[in-house]
Amino acid sequence: MTARMREGLRTAGFMFALTLVVITCVSALQLATAERVSRNAALFLQRAVMEVAGVPVPDDPAAVASWFQRSVAAEPAAAPTRFSVRDLESGALRAQVFTCQGRGLWGLITAVVGVDPATRSFRQIRFLDQNETPGLGARITEAWFMRQIEGKTGPFVLKPEGTRSAAPTEIDGITGATITSAAVRDMLNGVLSEARKGKEAAK
Amino acid sequence: MTATRKWKLFRENLWSQNPVFVQVLGICSTLAVTNVVKNTLVMCLGLIFTTTLSNLALSLIRNWIPPRVRMMVEVLVIACMVIVVDIFLKAFYPDISRQLGPYVGLIITNCIVMGHTEAVALSSPPLPSLVDGFSAGVGYSYVLLLIACCRELLGTGSVWGVHVLGPHWVNWSIMVMAPGGFFVLAVFVWIVKGWFMRPAQKAQA
Repeated sequence: MTARMREGLRTAGFMFALTLVVITCVSALQLATAERVSRNAALFLQRAVMEVAGVPVPDDPAAVASWFQRSVAAEPAAAPTRFSVRDLESGALRAQVFTCQGRGLWGLITAVVGVDPATRSFRQIRFLDQNETPGLGARITEAWFMRQIEGKTGPFVLKPEGTRSAAPTEIDGITGATITSAAVRDMLNGVLSEARKGKEAAK
Repeated sequence: MTATRKWKLFRENLWSQNPVFVQVLGICSTLAVTNVVKNTLVMCLGLIFTTTLSNLALSLIRNWIPPRVRMMVEVLVIACMVIVVDIFLKAFYPDISRQLGPYVGLIITNCIVMGHTEAVALSSPPLPSLVDGFSAGVGYSYVLLLIACCRELLGTGSVWGVHVLGPHWVNWSIMVMAPGGFFVLAVFVWIVKGWFMRPAQKAQA
């Protein structure tokens, strides 16, 4: 074996060993926290459904989970996209919650939107996942933006930021984030047709 | 290396060899994450953790690293540290992790981390490397936090999410966009180099 080959083997062996050590550490940490991470994600979804259904959210995660289990019917069971939220005491349908997705500037935006079953008007929207520009597109997660669809029926058109229109088919976009605002508008309009479909199927 | 040498190294990284305004490293993240103070702080803590531990780890194995693959080894160790930070945030601070999005992962490509492993960790014993990594992280962090304070204040009228500039303040949207980062950084470098460092440079000349 020449010196060059020995040198090469040593290099490859070193890289292999180091990679093994690093991967073992990272995988161990990932496995150790996997349950926590998935619990965080589930809790985040439950909280979001609760908020858009107009139910006050308790601080205690266990209380959120127990409320969700007792008053929400999620379908389809495997990967739920529709949630029927019932009133705990009367059992009446309190809100319908839909998940929706749209293409933002940097990636997929996922949100849940609440719809009032009686008036077919919107409750609020909460974003589960978005990678928009902080300070611009990411401002869709600001309270005024998520609240502005409340009581409106859509389908929506965008108005300049600051209009604060009360018309049932108008929402404010965000200055400097046209693509993100349009994506959210399309998501909301998509939810409308989804809700309509659901209603026709129920008939 | 004596305690005074280490202290000198520490001070240099904070001021006369500061990674941001003297060496002009890590500018990418200076532009990207400094529009909101809270996110900047988490990013800075992540970077201090990464520079400190990757410097230490690489210094410990420096005599066994084959020279031809040293950069691969550096990136591997740095990436490992960053993923640890990312997983930790996802598990214990999911809200902050959600806000920072892809930026934590981008610490891997931060030139400060690799620059210091390359320049110091591969040629120095563990303890000085640790001091160097930590102080480089701190030197980077305080500059970023200052810039973030300016940008958040001018761009949104608030600091740490608390509104301070009153209802009549008109937000400078450009401050929260990347160009705002360039402007504030440039003004910062100008003030520091023109005002504070000028007398020292003149004395040397």
